[in-house]
Amino acid sequence: MARSWRNFFRKTEEPEQENVQAAVEAEAPDSTADVPTAEEVQARRSPTPQATKVLEEENVQEPEALPESDAVEEASDEVASAEEQESRSGGWFGRLRTGLKRSRESVVGQLNAAIAEFRDTDDEEFWERVEEILISSDVGVKTTGKLVGELEQEALERNITSGEQLRGLMVEHAERMLEGPVELDVSHKPTVILMVGVNGTGKTTTIGKLVNFLPGKAMLAAGDTFRAAAIEQLQRWGERVNAPVIARERGADSAAVAHDAVEAAKREGADVLLIDTAGRLHTKVNLMAELEKVRRVIERQLPGAPHEVLLTVDATTGQNGLRQAKMFNEVVSLTGIILTKLDGTAKGGIALAIANEIGVPIKLISVGEQVGDLHPFDAREFAEALFGEL
Amino acid sequence: MFDTLGERLNSALDGVRGSGNLTEDGVKKVTREIRLALLEADVNYGVVKEFVSNVRERATGAEVSKALSPGQQVVKIVNEELASLMGGTAHKLSFASRPPTVVMLAGLNGHGKTTTAGKLALFVRKLGKTPYLVACDTYRPAAIEQLQQIGKELSVPVYTEGTEAKPENIAERGVKKAREEGYDFVIVDTAGRQVLDMDMMQEIKRVRSATKPHNVLLVLDVVTGQNAVDVAKAFQEYADFDGMVLTKLDGDARGGAALSVVSVTERPVRFASEGEKMSEFDYFYPDRMAGRILGMGDVMSLIEKAEAQVDKKEAEAQSKKLMSGKFTFEDFLQQMQMIKKMGPLSSLIGMIPGMNKQLQSANLSDLDDKALGRVEAMITSMTVEERRNAKLLQNPSRARRIARGSGSTQQDVQKLVKQFGEMQKMMRQMGKGGVPKRMPRMPFR
Repeated sequence: MARSWRNFFRKTEEPEQENVQAAVEAEAPDSTADVPTAEEVQARRSPTPQATKVLEEENVQEPEALPESDAVEEASDEVASAEEQESRSGGWFGRLRTGLKRSRESVVGQLNAAIAEFRDTDDEEFWERVEEILISSDVGVKTTGKLVGELEQEALERNITSGEQLRGLMVEHAERMLEGPVELDVSHKPTVILMVGVNGTGKTTTIGKLVNFLPGKAMLAAGDTFRAAAIEQLQRWGERVNAPVIARERGADSAAVAHDAVEAAKREGADVLLIDTAGRLHTKVNLMAELEKVRRVIERQLPGAPHEVLLTVDATTGQNGLRQAKMFNEVVSLTGIILTKLDGTAKGGIALAIANEIGVPIKLISVGEQVGDLHPFDAREFAEALFGEL
Repeated sequence: MFDTLGERLNSALDGVRGSGNLTEDGVKKVTREIRLALLEADVNYGVVKEFVSNVRERATGAEVSKALSPGQQVVKIVNEELASLMGGTAHKLSFASRPPTVVMLAGLNGHGKTTTAGKLALFVRKLGKTPYLVACDTYRPAAIEQLQQIGKELSVPVYTEGTEAKPENIAERGVKKAREEGYDFVIVDTAGRQVLDMDMMQEIKRVRSATKPHNVLLVLDVVTGQNAVDVAKAFQEYADFDGMVLTKLDGDARGGAALSVVSVTERPVRFASEGEKMSEFDYFYPDRMAGRILGMGDVMSLIEKAEAQVDKKEAEAQSKKLMSGKFTFEDFLQQMQMIKKMGPLSSLIGMIPGMNKQLQSANLSDLDDKALGRVEAMITSMTVEERRNAKLLQNPSRARRIARGSGSTQQDVQKLVKQFGEMQKMMRQMGKGGVPKRMPRMPFR
């Protein structure tokens, strides 16, 4: 579900795959210096060293397993870390795994049983179960229909007879649906990132986490001038990482804050400016118009900006997430989705529906309250988690 | 992307229309559409399964009522089942016999607990209580400030101890303080938590036993998807909530999660929170939810009312007359009386699916029942001849007489006559198959 932070920030203007890869590779020693990895950040903040160990251990599975691989060896106390997994600070993967256990027993357990009994592609009951799994993960009726249809077709064509093969196929299809450009474009100076979303989906918190990973000098803008104490919340995050926070008083025009912030970022030579906005329901016409104005003001102050417009979507959201993505995309042209609160029982299948029906790529996921719980999105792992391959 | 249930039912029913009984096949087609509608509304998969099989059983072989199409008939059954599942009436708050009443709020992160705390405080103050807020979210940065700012706005005291103390201790001392100072309604705000976080779930259990609340409310965002059931079960186990607050109802989420949770936990939704203003908070009325989940306005209530009041044959004769343009004031009066039997006009229009947006913004939004009464008075002041031949009313002395008889002005009468003429013209047009470009102003103003 998550990939490493390396190469997550694109620093060259041209998004040409190979060049970017080469450029970042060449830059790697430098970039790791100013881009802390999740583990480093976690280590810096976590009161329990064990938490870090578990986290790293989980990350070993990743192919590009980080320059700190010697640190992983330190985590040799397997018993301790296994126990840790049960507890709160048990690393996100462990938590996710324990968490999904309950729902897995009902849903994925059924899939496992179905796969074990799978004989041929005519098995109606089998496909119904696959459908059930997807719908129970909030993938939605339409996307589920599409996915199951494709699978059935391909399974038939390729004459698949083994359940495990079929599971591989499922993961593959879901992965293909989810794949998109993940990197954040931070090649501009200043790069402006606008954070939008419905109330309570985690915009401010995500900014507070993301700012830890950003390369260069970061600046924050408290564009949520509506909710009580939203400005203070962002200021608190700013203090923690020593990033300046541009703010006006509560009730001020949010576009004016954005204006001030872009000016300040230009003046003070900030590399990345993260602009928070008030949560708003996508159905509120006047609030959406206000957001459009914020975007317009940013663009006027800095042509080409905002370079990234990120929508936070709560993983517990059901089919309404589609509407959220659609409306926000229409009004402010999203460049990516951040799926938050994946540490709950929700599997975030709405991400699949959004990727399929709206076409906005998922860029980041958040699996907990700690800074180190924010991760770049990995389509493959997400697809695997969906079908119970943990 | 989002078909309404109405449209889907229509296409599903193309084959079964006109039969006197609901056939098994017809019911199957319709229930399949209902199943999809429920799933798209985020009702839990398991709940849907059980629900649909109940409906199928009840609907198969049911006699088709005179006033309803087979599709409407099934929808009616669905609606009744939904309403009974959600609980028929609003569950009002009960207050402790020995104050203060203590209410604890619990829920996932970002579902609106702190805002709800403020709204609830305002709500009970309107009921004559003296609210008191206790801030126990020691985790999220500035959560305490948020509650403090809300308290300041509403002039409700907020008990805080900063972020160092344990939530259960803050809660206990907060309730004690409220009691000492004579406040009779204490609202304990807690941190948002994920149900897999066992430390946090244990904590909410401790807060609960430290405060011994009379009510524990689970705050649930109406957009919540399939996992609402897991969430609710966990909160039931650790916080033992006895009711829910459904938040962000001003969005366009269908809110199937509410149905799932009620059906699994057997705890009612008590409050509905919809809007950014502190005053936008009320008791929850379950009957209003069924239509929302199905995405069809309050069409059911309309169906029921139509069934109870309208003689179908008479209605058909009326509409024939209407379209032919031979519609008179007499017919008009008769129709008005029929409509009045069904309830207030404004609510009737709100119940018609698709009618809401298109027509409420247009002329019909001005409808009011008093105006209807005035029109009735004017018509009853006309002679039989005048009612049948509206042209006679162009005579000013007749208009004057009618105005006197009905307690209105001559202008009112002339306006009514003019609008009635426009309406006749439009009806004729519609009868010929054309749709008028502009709805004429209805004569009820």
